[in-house]
Amino acid sequence: MSTLSLAGATHIGDLPLNIDLNIETGETVAVLGPNGAGKTSLLRLIAGLLPLDTGTLTIDGTTVDDPANGACLPPHLRRLGWVPQDRLLFPHLTVAANVGFGPRADTGRVDYLLDALDLTALANRRPDECSGGQAQRVALARALATDPVVLLLDEPSAALDVDSRHLINGVLATADAPATLLVTHDPVEAATLADRLIILEDGTITQAGSPAGVRSRPRTRYAASLAGLNLLDAEADGTEAVTGTGARVVLAEPANGPVHLVVPPASVALHATRPEGSPRNVWQATVADLQPAFERVRVVLDGPLPVVAEVTPSSVERLGLTVGSAVWAAVKATEVACHPA
Amino acid sequence: MRRFLLVLAGLAVVLLALPIVGLLQRMPWTSLPELLGDDVTLDALRVSLVVSLAAALVVLVLGTPLAWALGRTDLPGRRIVRALVVLPMVLPPVVGGTALLFALGRRGLVGQWLERWFGLTLPFTLAGAIVAATFVALPFYVIAVEGALRSARRELDDLEEVAATLGTPPHSVLLRITLPRLLPAMAAGLALAWARALGEFGATITFAGNLPGRTQTLPLATFLALQSEPERALALSLVMLVVALAVLLPMRDRWLPGR
Repeated sequence: MSTLSLAGATHIGDLPLNIDLNIETGETVAVLGPNGAGKTSLLRLIAGLLPLDTGTLTIDGTTVDDPANGACLPPHLRRLGWVPQDRLLFPHLTVAANVGFGPRADTGRVDYLLDALDLTALANRRPDECSGGQAQRVALARALATDPVVLLLDEPSAALDVDSRHLINGVLATADAPATLLVTHDPVEAATLADRLIILEDGTITQAGSPAGVRSRPRTRYAASLAGLNLLDAEADGTEAVTGTGARVVLAEPANGPVHLVVPPASVALHATRPEGSPRNVWQATVADLQPAFERVRVVLDGPLPVVAEVTPSSVERLGLTVGSAVWAAVKATEVACHPA
Repeated sequence: MRRFLLVLAGLAVVLLALPIVGLLQRMPWTSLPELLGDDVTLDALRVSLVVSLAAALVVLVLGTPLAWALGRTDLPGRRIVRALVVLPMVLPPVVGGTALLFALGRRGLVGQWLERWFGLTLPFTLAGAIVAATFVALPFYVIAVEGALRSARRELDDLEEVAATLGTPPHSVLLRITLPRLLPAMAAGLALAWARALGEFGATITFAGNLPGRTQTLPLATFLALQSEPERALALSLVMLVVALAVLLPMRDRWLPGR
């Protein structure tokens, strides 16, 4: 029996939210998704601030939401901790009073958390005297002080200073290991904190798995963009696949039916004239945008295959690339990974 | 243009300050202890304090839930109720007193049943004076608290939700989150309402009469004294001026910004 077990549906305005999710004690699951995908609503659903339309939600062996039987436990009777995105510290209370607010919070735990999150010196401050990182640490301490079995984190390290990020990750690693659900749009945060990833798009889970698995085999354009990869939906027939835009892509291995094609940006080569040589995918494209990325430049291409190429700044100079310039793009068949959709 | 506006603004200041100067200039400072110490003054002061404090208490107990219903719920008819709340502010007090008389008087709409069933008579009693004061004072409090509730609605929703997820039951959330956040607005609104109740004249004299020691408040005593004993009227006015300043000064941060 999982600590948190959710299989059900609800709606946020017109957007239906369908979730099937289990989290064990000590496990951290990260929910990644674009804005408006329903990430925060998922947390509110578990917290009891948004009811299920159908299905059931079980926390620590207790069914807390079960619309078929007319049962929905209010938030204060669910044993969970919620760290909202805006922190929402109680402005009229000191840091120490904020951390000790929950009726289940006991002095020992409060003192331990104030110490572990380096808040002891701020104990008598008001929230408006705290920096963003400090406020985030107070919000986490406040949630953990109630000894939750499920911890809900909404963008926990958004705009955090390095020290706060370090302290928070340390406490999350050593905390009495509640089942943790983490909402984020930062793939690095998800990969470092989470055991499993869930990709949520338009209220639906489009992919679930280990961070490495999602990175190597992204199933949607969004998941691919997280890893910096190009993702194309196509219909394969043997060693050739036709994309939704009608472009033909040569594959190294034969495949059949609907597939996801994953193209690493670094494998897209750019040329001033049509390149000669081994069988590969060659097409003419237009530069839509140029984005500096560390020591490389990401060249966004328009054309039959809308992909991103990653090249060195000297190549950009040599080819004289600017927005709107025409260029030849080439990808070896062996660089195109093909996964059944 | 600027000069013209400044002249008008200066005129407004004179209009506000001159009466106070006049009052203080004619004040019979030497006979003041005597005038303030006699029965008429002390009775009026006592009645005024009892009436205004009782009215403030009723305003607090009834006005807070009303402000909540208007500012925090989506009940139908809120616009109509809101207009009703403001009505005593714009209605001449004497009209309010007349209306109270026909509603709660001994032969009034509800008054006749109050008398028949409970033996309760409101007109020309201390209770009646309290009802009149409450009627005129309630809007000041409700508007202040409802405004605060509405502008802080999002924040209150958020904070109350967090408190609930921490395991706090609803009544405790109300006491530990909602009320503390509203306290400044409640205090300001209550001070205004109390000051309004203290100064109430028209509705009181119409509905509760002018019985010394029972319904004669400071404003009524002042008006009466003006016709026979102007020095007493000045002394009574000073009492009310001091009380008004005592209310205004602690609130100066709120009402006198930009010090």
